[in-house]
Amino acid sequence: MEEPGLPVVKDVDMEWSAENIRAQMVQLLPRLRRFAAGLTGSVADGDDLVQDTIERALKNLHQWEPGTRLDNWMFRIAKNRFIDTRRSHKRSGVVAMEVPEDAPSVRADGVRAAEARLMLADVAGALQKLPLEQREALLLVAVEGLSYRDAADILSVPIGTLTSRIARAREALAQFAPQD
Amino acid sequence: MESDPTHETLSAFIDGELPPKEMERIASLLAARPDLDAWVRRQESLRLGMKGAFADLMTAPAPDRLVRAAQSAPISWRWRLRRFAAPRVLAPAGAMLALGLVIGIALQPGGEIVSRDGRALARGALATALNERLASEGYAGEGPRIGISFKNRDGHDCRTFEIGGETGAQSGLACHSDKGWSIALLTARPNAQASGAYRMAGSEMPDVIRAAVSASIAGEPFDAADEKAARDRGWN
Repeated sequence: MEEPGLPVVKDVDMEWSAENIRAQMVQLLPRLRRFAAGLTGSVADGDDLVQDTIERALKNLHQWEPGTRLDNWMFRIAKNRFIDTRRSHKRSGVVAMEVPEDAPSVRADGVRAAEARLMLADVAGALQKLPLEQREALLLVAVEGLSYRDAADILSVPIGTLTSRIARAREALAQFAPQD
Repeated sequence: MESDPTHETLSAFIDGELPPKEMERIASLLAARPDLDAWVRRQESLRLGMKGAFADLMTAPAPDRLVRAAQSAPISWRWRLRRFAAPRVLAPAGAMLALGLVIGIALQPGGEIVSRDGRALARGALATALNERLASEGYAGEGPRIGISFKNRDGHDCRTFEIGGETGAQSGLACHSDKGWSIALLTARPNAQASGAYRMAGSEMPDVIRAAVSASIAGEPFDAADEKAARDRGWN
């Protein structure tokens, strides 16, 4: 249907299309779930946080700068949303920490499921004993494998502060966690 | 003799965050100091335990509700309007709108767009949809689909739309005047075949339309109430 002299304008810059960003968010789900489970102490609460994070991220997508890391930006949103909801939970007296029996991550078969549940419960329990500022720093670096620079950026703290939070988290964790 | 490295230094060593020379120094120190080496090993084992505890989450399929949220939760209007930022898109679209020119029109004989006095005007099903349909009521799956509505800087109501056709789908921008709906822009949509769960994502505006909207919009896009009010008063 294209007539001479009447060019049909092509779409451009598909890389940052909404479709592409949504697909990137789907790919990020496992990492977001892991980070959120570590923050909240349970898979179920973590998934609630991830859903909230995604909705918030899409609603505020204009605040994200194309070319910067979408994953780091979403980690930051998750962290901030967690702090916000924790404040409101504290006000209402709700405390949620345990790992539910039917957590989706532990539905694998038999012994392995039991071990996984135990391990996740242990680790989640130990992590929950850390102050939030140490927990989030340790999760980003030791579990997500982010550089100190990226983690400090996500948490909006100087690298020196991050370095010492991670060291303190490690010392504390070594005390809580059972010996091998 | 140098003092023992702090736990902070050992911790940064574990994360590979020390300068190369310092990494080497700590590595050789650990070989000679079983006590420090034990602390580092214990921490590495804790880190592996932590990663292992979450390993199932990395392989398990994410719950449907999370996938659905990523695929279809509403996207920021501001982002839709701003993100095209590439000047090569913004400048021509803005300039052409300012001059009242029409670009990218593939006129279809007897179709939904006709040429009158040098203007491309909506006709038929497209004109009806622009006059009557409300985006806030959702898309029935047939005929032209309305996107966003807004007032342009000249005070006219404008609406984005999509139309299908044998040659593929097109997105456009129409502004209302006393002659009816004048087509300011029409462009092919390369990803129009998307269906199912991706339908919403696939139906989002091409950049060039966003650029045109952003170049001409006064204020914010209409919300559902604004859209209905504009429709009910017959569009400005």
